[in-house]
Amino acid sequence: MRAHRLLLVAASALLVVASHIIAAQTPSVPDITGSWLRQGFTVGVPASAQASAPKAPPPAAAPAVKEPYRTEWQSRLKAIREADAKGQPLANNAVACLPDGMPGMMTAVFPMEILQSRGQITIIEEAYTQVRRILMDRPQKALDDIEPGFYGHSVGRWEGDTLIVDTIGIKENVRYQNVPHSKEMRIRERMRLVAPDMLWNEITIEDPTVLEKPWTFTFAYQRMKDYTLLEYICEDNREYADDQGFQKIRVDPAQR
Amino acid sequence: MTGRTGMLSLAVVIAVLAPVFAHHSFAVYDHTRTLTLSGTVTRFQWTNPHGFIEMDVTQSDGTVKHFSIELTSINMMQRVGWRSNMIKAGDKVQVVMAPLLSGEPVGLGLEVVLADGKTMALPVPNIGSFKRTTQE
Repeated sequence: MRAHRLLLVAASALLVVASHIIAAQTPSVPDITGSWLRQGFTVGVPASAQASAPKAPPPAAAPAVKEPYRTEWQSRLKAIREADAKGQPLANNAVACLPDGMPGMMTAVFPMEILQSRGQITIIEEAYTQVRRILMDRPQKALDDIEPGFYGHSVGRWEGDTLIVDTIGIKENVRYQNVPHSKEMRIRERMRLVAPDMLWNEITIEDPTVLEKPWTFTFAYQRMKDYTLLEYICEDNREYADDQGFQKIRVDPAQR
Repeated sequence: MTGRTGMLSLAVVIAVLAPVFAHHSFAVYDHTRTLTLSGTVTRFQWTNPHGFIEMDVTQSDGTVKHFSIELTSINMMQRVGWRSNMIKAGDKVQVVMAPLLSGEPVGLGLEVVLADGKTMALPVPNIGSFKRTTQE
């Protein structure tokens, strides 16, 4: 009986030692799981849900777009400005209930949730319930093996305190700030906690077909305390694009 | 002291430059005037991308005119305290709205006085760009 108890004590001690060894061998990574608010996007967010001590990232430079894409891009921006000034906005993807896709969803117009699990980091953007999966410690696929989509194919790895993510396979009609891109666009991200509750994501767009040089900009996110993402379904959109491409509102007596 | 002032100025610059971004353009609404409507709710639509208040407003000549009031995303509304049960059909409400430029009886809701007298603002991005006037 006594020997049995001794054996049990010895076995538990062994287990404790073994678990410590395993823990020591598993490199710890920063904890970025939780809800995040884009710094400055505070409309509709109570102050209690915002982290203090905001720190601003470096300002974004304009992309160096090559011709003939530059002319196309500039004339689109001009058309948008003129249409807005006339009170006749041009319809965009949102009018069709389409999500931002990458990298637009990382602007986090609404709060964003990051989930770290074994082999995968998942990012959910509340607006349009956008989801992207970052597969960890795997090689990137060949572009030909990826069907183009809104979020593309993302692989990631931790390099010290920085999460490095590589994304390819974005549909050409999925544009950030209306900047055109080719099928070969590559999005590189470097995410790092610059403070316990402040995450920076330095995004670099590479596209030798369209851009003179890589385009880099940084988004800052504040950790949100006790915020659970709400559901978002584009259930009844009364906006539509008319045959001229202008955004209109359906005035429907059936809605009354 | 200089450092502190520098930090403060930086904070001001950030606040001013904070991106005002929305998925949906509100350029279809008149930014130069608002209308204040008092009427009876026929329907409170709790949906994304935007909610709506449908309401009947009795005109000075006694006829009833129907208005649709576009709200913001219900997610943004929830984050500032709106709930789906705050308005129901039959409620008497007062709405401050920016009218549609096309003249159709539609407006963007900026502020609502609920049936119980409580005033609720709408979390419209860049709401300061809408000039308030007091036209009934």
